[in-house]
Amino acid sequence: MAKMSEYAFVAALLSTVLATLLYLAYALSGLRAARLQTAGMVVTTPGLGFVSGPRTAAIGRYASIIGWLATFALLFSLVFRAIATGHGPFANMYEFSMAFAFGILAAHMWFERKYHQRILALVALPVAVAMMLYAATIPAEIEPLVPALQNNLLLTVHVAVAIVAYGSFSIAFAASLLYLLQPEGGRWGLPKPQVLDEIGYRAVVIGFPFLTLTIILGAIWADTAWGTYWSWDPKETASLVTWLIYGAYLHARVMRGWRGNRAAWLLVFGFGATLFTYFGNLFFGGLHSYSGLG
Amino acid sequence: MAHEVGTRPLPPTAAGVEAEAGITLMDRVDGALEGLWHFLSSMRFAVVLMLGLAIVGLIGSLIIQAPPGILAEPEAKANWIAEIGPMGVPIVTFLHGLPVIGAVVPDLRYRDVAGLFDSLQLFGIFNSIYFRIIIAALVISTIACSIHRFPGMVRTATQPRVDVAPTFFEHAPQHEAIVVRHTPAETLELLSGILRAKRYRVLTADGDAIHVYADRFRWAPFAGLIGHLSLVVILAGGIVGATMGYRNTQFTISEGATMPVDAVPGVTIQLLDFTDTYDIRTGAPSDYASQVVLYRDGAEIARHTIRVNDPLRLGDTSFYQAFFGSAAVMTVKDKDGKTLVAQGVPLAWRTTADDRPVGSFTIPGTDYVGWVIGTKGAGDSTIQAGQVQLELYTTGEGTQVGQALLTQGSASTIGGLDITFERESQFTGLNIGRDPGVMLVWLGAFLLFGGFVIRFTLPHKRIWARIAARPNGAVVGVASLGSKEAALGTEFESLVNDIRTALAAPARN
Ligand code: HEM
Repeated sequence: MAKMSEYAFVAALLSTVLATLLYLAYALSGLRAARLQTAGMVVTTPGLGFVSGPRTAAIGRYASIIGWLATFALLFSLVFRAIATGHGPFANMYEFSMAFAFGILAAHMWFERKYHQRILALVALPVAVAMMLYAATIPAEIEPLVPALQNNLLLTVHVAVAIVAYGSFSIAFAASLLYLLQPEGGRWGLPKPQVLDEIGYRAVVIGFPFLTLTIILGAIWADTAWGTYWSWDPKETASLVTWLIYGAYLHARVMRGWRGNRAAWLLVFGFGATLFTYFGNLFFGGLHSYSGLG
Repeated sequence: MAHEVGTRPLPPTAAGVEAEAGITLMDRVDGALEGLWHFLSSMRFAVVLMLGLAIVGLIGSLIIQAPPGILAEPEAKANWIAEIGPMGVPIVTFLHGLPVIGAVVPDLRYRDVAGLFDSLQLFGIFNSIYFRIIIAALVISTIACSIHRFPGMVRTATQPRVDVAPTFFEHAPQHEAIVVRHTPAETLELLSGILRAKRYRVLTADGDAIHVYADRFRWAPFAGLIGHLSLVVILAGGIVGATMGYRNTQFTISEGATMPVDAVPGVTIQLLDFTDTYDIRTGAPSDYASQVVLYRDGAEIARHTIRVNDPLRLGDTSFYQAFFGSAAVMTVKDKDGKTLVAQGVPLAWRTTADDRPVGSFTIPGTDYVGWVIGTKGAGDSTIQAGQVQLELYTTGEGTQVGQALLTQGSASTIGGLDITFERESQFTGLNIGRDPGVMLVWLGAFLLFGGFVIRFTLPHKRIWARIAARPNGAVVGVASLGSKEAALGTEFESLVNDIRTALAAPARN
């Protein structure tokens, strides 16, 4: 099972890379179509999103198919691994990075289905690839759980909820980045600013409650394992910082002077905080309640 | 909370003309108070506070924070500051209990900046004055905001404006005019039918035309309000816990010993056995288990094996596995051979001088306290494995009575007492706590999550319509304020489509 999980992981990694390339080809082809259009050629422009010629549309379809393939390959990898280990993907950074990448892929495919904006893949998929490459650098051995982690149900739900939040936030990040990159009035055939703003908001509307739940479940776990639901551990604190940034965003988005660019910047910072929370262990020094015993 | 509709074209209402009057002092005070209220309940203030708190949190997660209690004691603080890692020392950090070698980002030379950091309260940022001010301001802001918006929310839910001005149907973010061949009364009936089928509540008013207002989920915005106020509940829980709770994170007990539980009068705890288990292959810990029995007035009331994720609960008091270590089983006899002490002494502390495990015990019937210092382990030539250093002090003055290096099994006479180091055993460290605020915290967390989920999944949907007579039929204006949610946009379009399908267009002639 562990072996099958690794094969599926490699398949997922390769297909994500392939999908990323296809999405890139799709974007370039769309750009070309847009240029031809300005030059007076006849091209079809679907109601939403990217300007595209027939070839662009075909490439886009293939990109999506490979994207779905990658998503399912990673899902299988996670399931096989869970069967092999007997618990959810929370035991180490290898498992959790895989889960994070799956969250990004799944969130992207879901948003693509809903909003037909393939172009978000140009930001989201490279992030997923990076997470998977990072996972690939970590030993994949299955080791028994240390005492602190022996809370299978709670931690599995905790992680499952967290990756929905993280996946959504990466979509919000992609949307806000394109929003900010886009000059006034929109250009390069990118989705309209309102559409990007809308997608960013919808992603946060999903991600924010899920992050809230992640933090609450983390607090419940801390309370059962150590007897304190909150101890200002760096990891806890960083997740709260992330939560506050997205909370601020939800207000900023409807405030005069903050909606638009500033709100989009908050989404960029929010994703920065998400990554900081995630990788924080690598640079938080010193005191940790998570050291548990001894 | 309510939609921020202030920036959208609202259904126009008649603007009252304020009476001119001379400005008195009272008016000025009034004005200032009103300004303050406006400031406190503004979203701008809320956002600034949230981001301010985020920055404080960021600093607090980057700069090492002192363990609780340390900063209040100057000596402990000085020791702690002297000990925190200098730049360039790899630090083993822990991810969810797993050791990870930390990449060492220039760890700021804490020692060099300790004075500055300390005076800025950066080592205890979550107790700092500015942290408290931000939290207090956030609470005030949330409450002010809720009070400020509450009447408007109630009005929107219970007394919506039905008869909006005709211009609204031309300027609303989403609007549509549909010409039909039915009479206004028939049109109203058909339109209401469609809306009710979509589970809208329909209100009507007559005037120059038939005014229709329909809405769904009119109570959902209150879920947002509850979500906001739950923050206050959570903080209240934290304060209750901090002020009224009980916590002993340093309760140590060695195998075989029975000790009173201070938190629960009349209750004693006995440690039958402590076991730490490790994975053979990796050497990583796989289990820490303390088998304990609780007695009330001598009778057993509970028996449990406490593990890291499996605390023992006794009423509102909980016992958590926290740490463990070695203990030295000591016996002390007086001159007559009467046994004064026969117990394991947890070596739960460290000597400051050379970092050896150390523990103390009192000797009943005497005026002495014994300190037991254990070995540092392999390579310790002063106190070797199988030995402890025993030092005897008077309780009052703390003057030393005598000391000896004890080898396991052989008795020595110190201060007129026969003292033996029998053998090594283990102690367990428990965290015993009672937190009366924790229920408030969970309640607040539940309301926070539930409130925002409801608020996000059930937006208050509002539709206005105006049915005016025209020759051979009527014209229906339909409008909505639109929403941040595109889903509502498509819903508006589908509503308009439904109306067009259900109502017949005028015959062409
Ligand atoms: C840490 C503190 C806060 C958090 C975590 C928070 C969170 C949220 C969330 C999640 C929403 C979106 C759901 C909804 O619309 O109800 C929201 C909306 C809102 N919040 Fe807060 N809030 C906080 C403080 C405040 C304060 C102090 C105010 C008062 C100015 C405020 C005013 C509002 C308003 C008016 C909305 C509705 C905005 C809209 O139309 O979307 N919030 N808040």
